[in-house]
Amino acid sequence: MVKTNTQNVPSPIGESKPRIDAREKVTGAAIFADDLQFGNSLLHARIKRSPHPHALIKNINITKARAMPGVKAVVTGEDFPGYIGLYLQDRYIFCRERVRYVGDPVAGVAAVSEEIAEKALDLIEVEYEVLEPVLDPELGASPKAPLIHPNLGQYLVANFIFPQPGTNISNHFKIRKGDVDSAWEQCAAIVEHKYRIPHIQHVPIEPHIAIAKVDESGKVTLWGSSQSPFAQRNLIAQSMGISQSDMRVIAPFVGGGFGSKAGVSMESLVVAIATKVKGHPVKLLLTREEEFFTAFVRQALVAYFKMGCDEKGRLLVMENTFYWGGGAYTEYGVNVTRAAGYSSSGPYEVSNVKTDSYCVYTNHPVGGPMRGFGMPEMHAGLEQCIDELALQIGMDAVAFRKLNCLKTGSILVTGSKMHPTGLPQCLEKVAEAIGWGKKAPPSAPNKRRGKGLALMWKAPAMPPNAGSGAWVELAEDGTVNVGVGGQELGQGVFTVAAQMAAAALGVPYESVRIATPVDTRYSPYEWQTVASRLTWSMGNAIVNAAKDAKRQILDVVAEDWGEPLEDLDIVNGMVISFKSEKEIPLKNLVVYGLPKPDGQGWRGGPVIGRGNFMPTYVTGLDSETGQGERAVVHYTTGAQAVELEVDLDTGRIEIIKGVSAFDVGKAINPEMVKAQMEGGFVQGMSSALFEILQLKDGVLQNPSFVDYRIATSSDIPKDLQAYIVEVPQDDGPWGARGIGEHSMVPTIPAIANAIYDAVGVRFEGPPFTAEKIYLAMLDEGRSTNDKG
Amino acid sequence: MTINSHPTLPEFEYVKPATLAEASEFLASHSVEARPFLGGTDVFVRMRDGFLTPKFLVDVKNLNGTNDLRFDPLSGLTLGAAVNMNRVIASPEVQTHYPLLAEACRSVASYQLRTRATVVGNICNASPAGDTIGACLVFNGVLHIHGVNGPREEPLAIFFLGPGKTTLEAGDVVTAIHFPIPPKGCAGTYLKLGRNQLSDLSIVGVTALGHPDASCPSGYRFRLALASVAPVPLIPADAQTYLANNSITPESLRETARLSAEACSPIDDVRGSARYRKEMARNLSAKALTIVWEKLK
Amino acid sequence: MTFHKINVTINGELEQVVVPSNMTLMRMLRESLALTGTKNGCSAGECGACTVLLNGEPVNSCMVLAVECDGTEINTVEGLTGDKHFNLIQEAIIQEGGVQCGFCTPGILISSYALLKRNPNPSEDEIREALVGNLCRCTGYVRIIESVKEAAKRR
Repeated sequence: MVKTNTQNVPSPIGESKPRIDAREKVTGAAIFADDLQFGNSLLHARIKRSPHPHALIKNINITKARAMPGVKAVVTGEDFPGYIGLYLQDRYIFCRERVRYVGDPVAGVAAVSEEIAEKALDLIEVEYEVLEPVLDPELGASPKAPLIHPNLGQYLVANFIFPQPGTNISNHFKIRKGDVDSAWEQCAAIVEHKYRIPHIQHVPIEPHIAIAKVDESGKVTLWGSSQSPFAQRNLIAQSMGISQSDMRVIAPFVGGGFGSKAGVSMESLVVAIATKVKGHPVKLLLTREEEFFTAFVRQALVAYFKMGCDEKGRLLVMENTFYWGGGAYTEYGVNVTRAAGYSSSGPYEVSNVKTDSYCVYTNHPVGGPMRGFGMPEMHAGLEQCIDELALQIGMDAVAFRKLNCLKTGSILVTGSKMHPTGLPQCLEKVAEAIGWGKKAPPSAPNKRRGKGLALMWKAPAMPPNAGSGAWVELAEDGTVNVGVGGQELGQGVFTVAAQMAAAALGVPYESVRIATPVDTRYSPYEWQTVASRLTWSMGNAIVNAAKDAKRQILDVVAEDWGEPLEDLDIVNGMVISFKSEKEIPLKNLVVYGLPKPDGQGWRGGPVIGRGNFMPTYVTGLDSETGQGERAVVHYTTGAQAVELEVDLDTGRIEIIKGVSAFDVGKAINPEMVKAQMEGGFVQGMSSALFEILQLKDGVLQNPSFVDYRIATSSDIPKDLQAYIVEVPQDDGPWGARGIGEHSMVPTIPAIANAIYDAVGVRFEGPPFTAEKIYLAMLDEGRSTNDKG
Repeated sequence: MTINSHPTLPEFEYVKPATLAEASEFLASHSVEARPFLGGTDVFVRMRDGFLTPKFLVDVKNLNGTNDLRFDPLSGLTLGAAVNMNRVIASPEVQTHYPLLAEACRSVASYQLRTRATVVGNICNASPAGDTIGACLVFNGVLHIHGVNGPREEPLAIFFLGPGKTTLEAGDVVTAIHFPIPPKGCAGTYLKLGRNQLSDLSIVGVTALGHPDASCPSGYRFRLALASVAPVPLIPADAQTYLANNSITPESLRETARLSAEACSPIDDVRGSARYRKEMARNLSAKALTIVWEKLK
Repeated sequence: MTFHKINVTINGELEQVVVPSNMTLMRMLRESLALTGTKNGCSAGECGACTVLLNGEPVNSCMVLAVECDGTEINTVEGLTGDKHFNLIQEAIIQEGGVQCGFCTPGILISSYALLKRNPNPSEDEIREALVGNLCRCTGYVRIIESVKEAAKRR
């Protein structure tokens, strides 16, 4: 890892290099999984899905479907007894005995065309015994609720997740810090609220897709739009009872992930089906409607916050209860519960905290990882409470946060210490940029203007030993090939990977290539492309690999020139000596080495640098108190502020200005960092104003773009600003830490706080639709129609 | 309870008749199984979702006159069935004489969809949310229909029977919609409330058109049409009558808007509640009437 | 189901393709002709990832039947890459950082290209309106809009 040295940042670190993959994307040449050509042996899969949110499977008859001309295989859960899951193995590949959400896969068909496969689904006869569904996480957590996973006690589970067998609670994370009960008495102001955050979804423009082929010996190749080729290899291999080395995952460009394509979801279906048609690749492409009701969703949350401060506005105590609507399977979502638990104070120093964070099974679609991993849902309510508390105690919302927010050395809710952080600078920056304290007049008599802001923090939520690998190899022309296991989702990781490799090795950015597509057979290991961890973790691995390659190169040249290593360096693709001023281009030695003098042989050989990175310092957290020395690797902190107008005639909101500031440690590519802040703001804004999976009796009412609305080009503010704050991370490459998720975290509460400032109403949860706002104003006697 | 969506369009036969007579004959003799289509933007979506299952899709574009957009200073505008909405928006004749129609078309979906979508298709789809229907109603549109008995005309005002239901019979092909010359001094506007700033289907839509009319006590005649507030595009007759009979003031405009909302019978659906729609019908009617009044006076 | 033999000019080349009645233009391009630059995001005319030019005008190719394209001219991102005005937008979107995952990009480029052809100096509102049928989840549209402005300047 590179020690932070802010004085000596080599090019192209900190430069906004153009994307390494831009040209192929703008010409239509970039290959996504559905663009791969497989020839005539390709079969198409379609999935028979449960129409009930909760039911027992009494019988499945596949004979008619199997007999249909063109159908090559029909499979059910009977063929696949293995469980699968990331942190908790609570899922079968195809349902066995029980279905747990509308859309749960019950059978799969492979046929010569998608149409035939689709028709065959109608010939599969399934008998169900309908059970009472659980549709609310708080109710689901109560002892009277029907049990969705009666075998919870037998599931394999990671040792930092605590399921409660005999209930629907698949994880219970606790914080018990200080003395909460006594602390209330010392409070001069107390605020208590309940929030309800609905399920929403990632909505990548590219739907989920996977193609699997099993050869005669049982070896699997899986192509797909994937954030997690290695995790998919591991989890599917385990579930199917094959060796990880016999399961190869090839992952081309991803057309948007946001967490939806992490872990394993629909990929296991097509691998399972492919085992029945050996030698044929089998493709499964989800329709957009299937995306909405069968792919991962973001957890729902029922959150109770209670917080208090003293007369000076110092936060004294917080008590939080979170009921996470984890959906039918919480194999991934259990960790959201944990992450929210250990972050439950928000980015504030509070000495007395009691948190109970429950992950609860419901008969709703499966909650998976979504950008922010619990942080947007939690901050949605928490940052509104902070505003309310400030109001109650008579303090300005910015001043209140300035007083209480985390600074370097603050003691955190888990008992650890805050590393150097730029959170106060982020707060100051957005307050200044939004013109905090100044009220601009509304643009029309029927509009009301308001400003609001919110802070956030988030750590990469992952196991303590999630690692990255990288290799660096050079070609005869001196170009550099970098092997990575991380995936390009659009966030720009291939570009910054190339920048970091270039800087660490000493070559121009333009001479670096990333070895794509990621292929678990040849690419180095990467835990997953999630958690905003790659720039930091994979970056460290790349730097180590580049340094390893550099060392090999310099060793050869040092010997050849008879000069000490300290006098040599690689600059711009040339090995140079500071002392003798000799130089030699890399390409002259990186493959064939250098000849010894007088025909005496050769030195060196093909240079291949290797590097890895895995944090070694993350300790556990006490299962009763949630306290531990170092719960996480680091936090990215930040702030957002918005200025908006509410139209009194319709309730509709127009965001006039949005401002983000995040402490990213070091922006390897500043324009790309800002682009993440912009994209995250808009996705956050979209989740605040439009998005909700409307589930009624477990059935999704809006499974299409027609009625699941996301932000369009017409909805974004005219003024969207992004500011980079850089307080280096001690073990990040040049001080860098992640930004991908964080920019979507504070947006809901920033908007909620601004709505309150404009029209004095608050809500139980997003989306803050025009209807909600209008009717709330009407009911509170605030609507003025044409009276100005 | 299952959510339907096919990965592809279901199987059907594409039929392209060469003449109107052929089209009507085919449609009449395959009345249950055949469906005409123009742009396809409504039909294809509903087929993929499993709501429409025609065995034959009959392409009625490129039949006699359906591609023409013709304006005559005496008789008015004839808009062929196959003329796409972008063409309508860009037409100088429409912009000059029927700007409200261009405004309504412009509010539909996206540029790409408007390259295929047609006003006649919007009308025949007969969704109460149809954005261009209001403008067509207030401009007194008359449909030119070719049926098994040859051509006939039908005023739009009596065309809609219910959501997706019209007076069209088996064998009917709408070939054009005709608008007479609008009254002198017309001004109009279409206000559409969607969830996004642009695009989207309407939660409520209000079309308003006004013009000087000496035969009205107020000196002006206003036409209103509301989208997404009733099973069919709604014309609030009482509201129109009221404004014809009472001098135009902020109060009478407000009262007209209230009457307009009163005429509505909206439902709760995934886009909005009945209560909100009633409120919006009133507020948007007030706003639309005010805008038109400002243009007129 | 009937198959139809159609003659369609694709990126300047006359192609004869045999298509079933129910095949969309999008599927014909992607499956019959392996022109995979045009993307399938929803098959419902909502996301715009499948946008191509049909007789010079942008359409959602998932909302057009292949058989309807007999005798027409289609331009996709692969073919337009040879057009100098299209290049301006491609260069601008790279420079401004308006590409992230790239899945919406071909559709965005085509809608932008068509806009600048009919309106060489669009206002910001006109750009937003022209792109409202192209959904992007990554960029937040900011840099896409900037790139259209930049391309307009360079024309």
